[in-house]
Amino acid sequence: MNICRKAPRSQNITEKVKPEHLALLVKTEWQLSYVTPLYQFRHTQLKTYARQLSAFIAAEKQQGLAVEVGGLQNTFKVSFSVLQGLAETNDDPETVLIQVQSKPMFARQEDPPKTVWSGWLSCINGNPEYLQSLPKDFTCLPLFCSKGAEGLSSLVKSWLQRTFDCCFGPLDINQTTLQWLAALWTNCHMETNIQKLKMIWTLPVVPPLQVTYTVDSDDALELWRSTRESSAEKSRGAEDEVTRFMQGLMSHFYRHFRVDLSAGELNQVSSALGSAKLNGKIKISSSRYLISIFSLLTECALLKMP
Amino acid sequence: MDNLAKHLLQRLMRRIPASMLQSTLDKWGRLTAEKRKSLDFTQSKLTITQELVALCEESELTVKHITELEMIYDAHSVELMQFKEQFKSHLSELKRNVSVKIKKHTDEAVWIRVAWGDGLSRPNHLKATYVVHYLQTPYVFVNALSSKNKPLLLQALTLSTKHQQIKAANLSGQKLTALRDLLMRQYQQVFPTKYPSPLPESDQSISKLRIEKVQAEASANRHRMAGETFGDGMLPALQSAFFQLETKFKDPTNEAMTQRDEPFICSVKFSSSNLLESLRHCASSGIASTPVTPLLSSIPLKGRNYFVITDNVPNA
Repeated sequence: MNICRKAPRSQNITEKVKPEHLALLVKTEWQLSYVTPLYQFRHTQLKTYARQLSAFIAAEKQQGLAVEVGGLQNTFKVSFSVLQGLAETNDDPETVLIQVQSKPMFARQEDPPKTVWSGWLSCINGNPEYLQSLPKDFTCLPLFCSKGAEGLSSLVKSWLQRTFDCCFGPLDINQTTLQWLAALWTNCHMETNIQKLKMIWTLPVVPPLQVTYTVDSDDALELWRSTRESSAEKSRGAEDEVTRFMQGLMSHFYRHFRVDLSAGELNQVSSALGSAKLNGKIKISSSRYLISIFSLLTECALLKMP
Repeated sequence: MDNLAKHLLQRLMRRIPASMLQSTLDKWGRLTAEKRKSLDFTQSKLTITQELVALCEESELTVKHITELEMIYDAHSVELMQFKEQFKSHLSELKRNVSVKIKKHTDEAVWIRVAWGDGLSRPNHLKATYVVHYLQTPYVFVNALSSKNKPLLLQALTLSTKHQQIKAANLSGQKLTALRDLLMRQYQQVFPTKYPSPLPESDQSISKLRIEKVQAEASANRHRMAGETFGDGMLPALQSAFFQLETKFKDPTNEAMTQRDEPFICSVKFSSSNLLESLRHCASSGIASTPVTPLLSSIPLKGRNYFVITDNVPNA
């Protein structure tokens, strides 16, 4: 679990990935899930898959399965495409994007169809030993990000499960990962103004108490730097830096309020660069750190798989 | 009670508007609290009058007492009328085209609704400002007031209430009654006592029981201190408290940060469906160490929920 924990580098991935593809990924909140390797998935068959998924959605709608989007008159059109350039290593399969567009039956010709659901499957810096150990027919794209109506998410997952013999599960962003993101974004303040570091805790009292702790970005960065220096002096590992950073923040809080934040749960971390929530929702506002963050999430997905 | 007294009382009751009845009777003080409580002010004026006559007869009140009641009502209504007139005239002097409606409610609260216009446009009734003033108190509650109109309204209020100055109380929330109860301490207070529990007996228990006893004592202490700080029973529903912190970072394990001269700038917002109950539970459960810090106890003590904390003012 150490590969991604070193200080991430900012990358200008606009050279590798098309800007219009990046635009689809950033500034949007994605719901995260993990998915087990797909059996006999072919990047060359995407048009076929799009047709099959369209038909599946139409059939399920006819059977009265609630799709929640638009009226019964809507037709859904599915497209599968490759988001080239996100795969980092030779073992990473290319990222696949699925979009569902809706067109009302009586729309005019010029009306563009509206994208009502999108999702993407990816594997960024996946563990090479694991990837190489998989049998040939399996494609590992463990990280699934989705956005749109819950009904459509279920249908897409359901179709993927039966077609590629895989299974899905929710990917929560745990405390450690949230803390790591807080430190990551603070670190990024050296190159990009993150404006503020905001953290939201909930304390288990009746009624539940929410604590929103917002730190000025320059001050957060100084605290982060000071914990890194002292950790380096004492030759402690990268994980210790994050822990000490969070402890510094919590002790400042305790000094004023005499409330122990570790008695509660960190629910959300956000900055100008993005936000991450305990319930598996993530938003990346800048493409410069996209690879680092999604590498971490790929690792989390691989670890969460049964 | 003779017929003249009864007649005077009935005639007086026709004069006193329903909204001023309860407060006028309270000021009068000739009926015991018990008797006053027994009156149901939601009934028709006629019914209330009949009940009131009966109560006065029981208390053997005379014409003298009834005239006293009349004088109190007159003074009370003059006070209210003066306030209304003064407020309307002051505000109209400061700004043209304002529409002001004033109404007094039964609980000593005067409600004012101001629709703002300016020299060119008519008053906008869709974005009216509401003001609630409790006549015998120095408090005013305001809702939906723009920064443009704020100085005008505050000046009109200061003048018409015959005060010299008005300033922000740094208290806000969604429930007017909760804010009022908090400010006027109208909830169950717990006063600290020197000997909270009966003095212990000299009987010595075995050590396991002693550990449990110590734990139970610690828990009881926390509960007691939590109650003393925040109150007992149902607490007024505040939704949030906001602290802007501009204090230095002090942590013995982090020398570099502790040696900084500049403050560590951050802000903390506490939110809950009932903030005071949440904080009380933090204290009683040990999540917040007791005694509760002045920063948190200031919320109920000072009736505030917005604070700026700097090193020069360690206690808010």
